[in-house]
Amino acid sequence: MGPRWLAAPLVVLYALGLLIPLVVLLRQSLLEGDGGSLTLENYGAVVTSAAYRRALLNSIWIAFASTLLALILCFPVAIYIERSADPYRHALAVALSIPLSLPGIVIGFFVILFFGRTGLVPQLFLLLTGERQLSLAYTFGGMLLGYLYFQIPRVVLMLRGAVAALPQEVIEVSRTLGATPLQVYLHVLLPALLPALLSAASVSLATAFGAFGTAATLSRGFRVLPLEIAASFTESFQPGRAASLSIVLTLLTTAILVGLGQVAEQALQPQRPAAGSSRGPRP
Amino acid sequence: MKPLFPRSQGDPVLAIGRGFTWAAAILCLAPLPLLLLVATTANWPLGVWAGGITGKWLQEGWETVRPYAFFSLRLAGLVLGINLAVGLPAAWLIARRRFVGRQVLMALINLPLAIPGIAIALALILAYPAARASGILLLLGQVIYTLPFLVATLVPALAQGALLEREAVARTLGATFLQRLWHVTLPSIRSALLAALLLVFTLSMGEFNVSFFLFTPLNKTLPIELYSAYITNRVEVAAAMTALFLLFVVPAAIAIERLGGSKVGQA
Repeated sequence: MGPRWLAAPLVVLYALGLLIPLVVLLRQSLLEGDGGSLTLENYGAVVTSAAYRRALLNSIWIAFASTLLALILCFPVAIYIERSADPYRHALAVALSIPLSLPGIVIGFFVILFFGRTGLVPQLFLLLTGERQLSLAYTFGGMLLGYLYFQIPRVVLMLRGAVAALPQEVIEVSRTLGATPLQVYLHVLLPALLPALLSAASVSLATAFGAFGTAATLSRGFRVLPLEIAASFTESFQPGRAASLSIVLTLLTTAILVGLGQVAEQALQPQRPAAGSSRGPRP
Repeated sequence: MKPLFPRSQGDPVLAIGRGFTWAAAILCLAPLPLLLLVATTANWPLGVWAGGITGKWLQEGWETVRPYAFFSLRLAGLVLGINLAVGLPAAWLIARRRFVGRQVLMALINLPLAIPGIAIALALILAYPAARASGILLLLGQVIYTLPFLVATLVPALAQGALLEREAVARTLGATFLQRLWHVTLPSIRSALLAALLLVFTLSMGEFNVSFFLFTPLNKTLPIELYSAYITNRVEVAAAMTALFLLFVVPAAIAIERLGGSKVGQA
């Protein structure tokens, strides 16, 4: 048997703390009302209820929008941090890691401090123009900003690994061949970093779909799936409904992580036979 | 990392990158001074430092935060202890042995990373409704949520070739397993171990998504209390409480970054 028993405590803990609860969650999602017979009613409601459909579409919309923004913003950042010789680039890298340690609710509160009704930006507008402008904390725009905030360090981390693995000549050669900076970014670096961008997108999307704290703090009208899960359990006490929504959300995040992760790995194969270990952490 | 361009100042590709990096860094840092500004303003809705600069919100915030901070610290301590007891042996096994089921074990360990925290919490509460009041579900949920990060940080450190060689030398010199562990293995993985522990600590201190369903009035964490302050308290107190909370997580997070152990939690 060998020393495999060393993993036994972990396996027992996972069985009790994760696997059994997930089975119970699945079973609950298939039950009618309080116990009773098996049914797909809870899943039917996810599709037929206008509110849930809306929440699903909202989740998809904000996840893709925030991911795209984060990729565009962080792509040049990763190249700079890995390739520049500026002495302060390490300090900038530390600054960029700050959002990692912050819970989603705190990030939501930051958006309120800037863009809430009494936030800094509307107050400055009041001072300068006599009118409060840009009080958008509780709108889609405010939530998008919050989501972008927590995506930044995640995307930067995942891209940095890939930039570090890039052959040194890539930028140099294209520059000596007369390419403009924009051409270098779009025609040289973008294709070379495509697998890393896809992996970063998968992590970023999955994080956004699962994000609860930021949405709970900021959402007034713009409902997303995790909020509907919380509301169906704590407000209307429909555990079956909450369970089916959780299963849908879990399948969605897992499919994105595994699916896009696979695509990214395949895109990596022809370039580097030794599969890159730069995929980095998962949310 | 050897720099590509010794004179990077002049390269326009990197100049674009520098601009983006400064913009992103300012975006990441800007909330921190604003937080202090709001927390020290007597009457924030009337403007910056309206009514003068005051320390009363920070004092009031600390009074509110203190019991929950101590609860969160105790919880993080327990989470750390269980993580070490369960995760260190498993990480050692994954790093050192090739066995049937190793891939399955690694996939199992990483499973919580793919599941939204709120779903983990809901699953736990539906499975063990009677255990919620004791606070054990809160502990269990946080352990499940943090373990993948501990293992992922420790496995590469334990698998280093140089460490394996030192252990082999110690063995030929007659060191017992415990002697090797204490005098060779643990000192060699010191910084990874420290990064892993700090990581679990910050993740536990800041955890909200899993805790939201699992907390009880008697087992209330600091982030849960922050959330209710955001909903009900005045903005200055909420800002003061948040600033105090950041004292617990940001220094640890910077230390993790310096130790090279960045890993990503849920938002």
